[in-house]
Amino acid sequence: MSTSLEMKNIQKFYGPLHVVKDFDLHVQPGEFLTFLGPSGSGKTTALKMIAGFETPSSGDIYLDRRSIVDLPSYERRIGMVFQNYALFPHMTVGENVAFPLTVRKATQSDILEKVGRALSLVKMDQYVGRYPNQLSGGQQQRIALARAIVFNPSILLMDEPLGALDRNLRDHMKMEIMRIQKELNMTVVFVTHDQDEALTMSDRIAVIDEGRVVQVDDSKSLYRKPTNRFVASFVGESNLIPCRVECVENGRANIIVAGVQSRVAQLSGQASGDAGWLFIRPEHIDICPQGQGSHVHNSLEGVIEKTLFLGEMTRYLVRCGGETITVKQQNRGQAHLPGGTPVTIRWMPQDCTVLN
Amino acid sequence: MSVASINPARSMLQRAAKGGVGMDKILESGRVRGFITSLPLMTLLVGFLVIPLTYIVWGSFEGSQLSFGHYSRIFASGTNLNILLYTLRIGLIVTIFSLAIAYPVAYLLTKIGSRSFTAISIFVLVPLFTAFLIRTYAWMLILGREGVINNTLIWLGIISAPLQLLNTTFAVIVGMTHVFIPMAIFTMYSSMVRIDYEVTRAAQILGATPVQSFLRIYFPMSLPGVFSAGILIFISALGFYITPAMLGGPGDTMISILIVSQMTTLLNFELGYATAVVLLLVTIGILFVASLFIPLEMIWSSSDSNLSDVSPRAGARFFRTVKSALNPILVLAETVAHATTKPLLTRNGRWLWGYTIIILVFLTAPLVVVFIISFSSSPFVVFPPPGFSLRWWEKLASATDWQQSFLFSLQLGTAASVIATTVGTMGAFWLVRTKFVFKKALFLFSLSPLMVPVVIVATSLYVFEARLQLLGSFFGLTMGHVLLAVPYVIVVMAAALRNFDQSLEPAAAVHGARPLQVLRFITLPILKPALVTAGLLAFLTSFDELLVSVFLLGRQTPTLPIKFWGDIRYQIDPLLSAASTFIVFLVAVFIVTAQVMRNRHNARTSTRVVG
Repeated sequence: MSTSLEMKNIQKFYGPLHVVKDFDLHVQPGEFLTFLGPSGSGKTTALKMIAGFETPSSGDIYLDRRSIVDLPSYERRIGMVFQNYALFPHMTVGENVAFPLTVRKATQSDILEKVGRALSLVKMDQYVGRYPNQLSGGQQQRIALARAIVFNPSILLMDEPLGALDRNLRDHMKMEIMRIQKELNMTVVFVTHDQDEALTMSDRIAVIDEGRVVQVDDSKSLYRKPTNRFVASFVGESNLIPCRVECVENGRANIIVAGVQSRVAQLSGQASGDAGWLFIRPEHIDICPQGQGSHVHNSLEGVIEKTLFLGEMTRYLVRCGGETITVKQQNRGQAHLPGGTPVTIRWMPQDCTVLN
Repeated sequence: MSVASINPARSMLQRAAKGGVGMDKILESGRVRGFITSLPLMTLLVGFLVIPLTYIVWGSFEGSQLSFGHYSRIFASGTNLNILLYTLRIGLIVTIFSLAIAYPVAYLLTKIGSRSFTAISIFVLVPLFTAFLIRTYAWMLILGREGVINNTLIWLGIISAPLQLLNTTFAVIVGMTHVFIPMAIFTMYSSMVRIDYEVTRAAQILGATPVQSFLRIYFPMSLPGVFSAGILIFISALGFYITPAMLGGPGDTMISILIVSQMTTLLNFELGYATAVVLLLVTIGILFVASLFIPLEMIWSSSDSNLSDVSPRAGARFFRTVKSALNPILVLAETVAHATTKPLLTRNGRWLWGYTIIILVFLTAPLVVVFIISFSSSPFVVFPPPGFSLRWWEKLASATDWQQSFLFSLQLGTAASVIATTVGTMGAFWLVRTKFVFKKALFLFSLSPLMVPVVIVATSLYVFEARLQLLGSFFGLTMGHVLLAVPYVIVVMAAALRNFDQSLEPAAAVHGARPLQVLRFITLPILKPALVTAGLLAFLTSFDELLVSVFLLGRQTPTLPIKFWGDIRYQIDPLLSAASTFIVFLVAVFIVTAQVMRNRHNARTSTRVVG
């Protein structure tokens, strides 16, 4: 069941619109890969090209090293779960799940066995005789999943499958999908605009912006080491502060940020004299009243503009020169700093990177 | 205007508002509102449909004598029985042809952009709203001895003597199919458009070939729409009068022709009643069988019920059994069809477009022929015309009898349209807004003038109005037309009311509007496009109506269709073509105007934020 998928230099034009650009991607057998991007970024178009609903304007797609661009959808052996499930309303659950086998003319006993197995995998065995409109959203989702995997497809595509569910159900289904994926060792391409889904479920995430893959990485690297400003702001919360590189010393650089010189940061390919954006996660910044604490780290002086108490943490908006910097602090009983307090904020050199 | 003059005006308004308080109190009660809005509709339906029908049923077995003699006469006579069977057969053939021909067009309409949609729908709408009479007349021109087809074939040298095409069963079938195709297209389209296209995609990615995904997914999902179009056409075809009477031969007597001749020439009223009752029973029987498969109200207003929410009915379960028995044949058919169609499949549906254009030509060609012949220089109907002249248009312009008929039809249509729109809109408010048991049954009841074949409505009203001394009065005739038009108004208005955002009314009330003010300033203005459509449909219903007018006219000026009908029967000349062209043109202007008004209204009131 595990098959590799490769997209080579895919381009897609709708008239003058260039919706998918230079798409290059290699999905390993058994890998859970997520297309993450805002709506309109072209991620669904990319998925449709894998499914065969759209033809790439140029480029090639390989399933298991075999080109599939010229195959019609029905010969690709791909399983797919649709955003609105697309269950067949005039068929029972059993008939829906059996559909991929029926159209392939499987024998009756084979069908019975495989449908039974798929339904028990999604824990819906007792609903065989129901019609889709007699099921809840989560149940329909499970049936759509069972239908997509019942014929042992080479790879499974999922187009925002959790979008229509409420929050609790969504968290539950995330776990279920991960369990089934591991159990069957399936190659999965999952499309979403929800970063939580992407971060929890995926082996790797391909962040897509304006039709282009901007970064492909596992969750941790993506969160810790975004390679550009879009990824930094789209995945998780981040501070992006305009800065200038002063001089470079073995990979680290001294920079000017918020009008203050000699902060130490990591670089992502800049040379001295370049302008860029300093990227720091809010939870990587320490905050304390001015004059307290040591000065071993990078630090800036500022005034608290606003304090927001969020339960397990407090969010501070700190004004430093012309910039507003967000700081998140776990609440472990330390002093609550009200708005207007002059503060020092500090961060470690390894927690900040200059991005273009 | 000075400030001083505004102030008295304002205090007058306040006083008027105070006077309205009692009225507002009364209107607050839902029951009172229900009573007021239902009263006109129920009076109309009971007074002009139920009582007349009861009278006919009563009369058919001679009242208290309970004599079934007339029924036994119908069933004893081989001729009558044959007429009944012939009617059913023609109905079935026409239904199947119209559905099969219309299906691909309806399918294409669900797939195309709005500009192509408008283009195609105009080609379908104009024939749809052209009177049956005119369309049938066009077929007489085409199929006649010197008609388009015969002349072309002779000119090509394929035949030497004209074929007998007119006054044959073939002509009846062609004419009726032509009449019903537009109806089939729109009825099926309105249900097919709600099938989620994603579903056929899902089928294909799961391994179904295009043929399989059509046969197993799309087609079964479109069946309720096909079925309701079929029922609609079948019961209309059973009561059809104009086309078989004009295009058919002596052997092509349909049951409505039989009833009319029993009532008007043989003057055997009781036998006519009995025949009408038989036709009524057949219709009811068909509707009953249909109700086993689909909710009946879906046939007339498909926007009502969401198909996918309907759990399978008894009839559908029966089909399921049949289907599984036929499975091997289905598999074979799929394989063959897949092998043959695979090279023909193109992404842009070129074949479908080609087919659709042929059908559109078929739908509009008869009207084009009528148009061309109206400019003929010949005193006879020949095609192609020997020369161009405006003589027939000049004759039409000076024909006072045609002008009188036209004016009378205009008056009648306006009166019927105003009354039907008022009564129907009130009724729709009642049916949609009030909560009560038997709501569905009452909705169906209010559509019943559409279900009862027109010939029965006509005969029953004739007898009933004769009794009340209403026969031959303008009021009596208008009410006949109102009865036929009201269901259309109800269908249109009920759909509009269901889509109406009801939170707007409380919002107006919170801002200080009284119930009648809410109606005047909020509800009715928003419903304006629907009201225009409803009024237009009611007007066209009356403007095209023949049978009821024939029975109820008395000694008044003949309506336009009656004038037309009389002239066709004793002489066909290009004057009729000129008159037809004029009417078609008028109707087209009406439709386009209504469409433009609707689009402008929608553009202005659309709640979508521009940006």
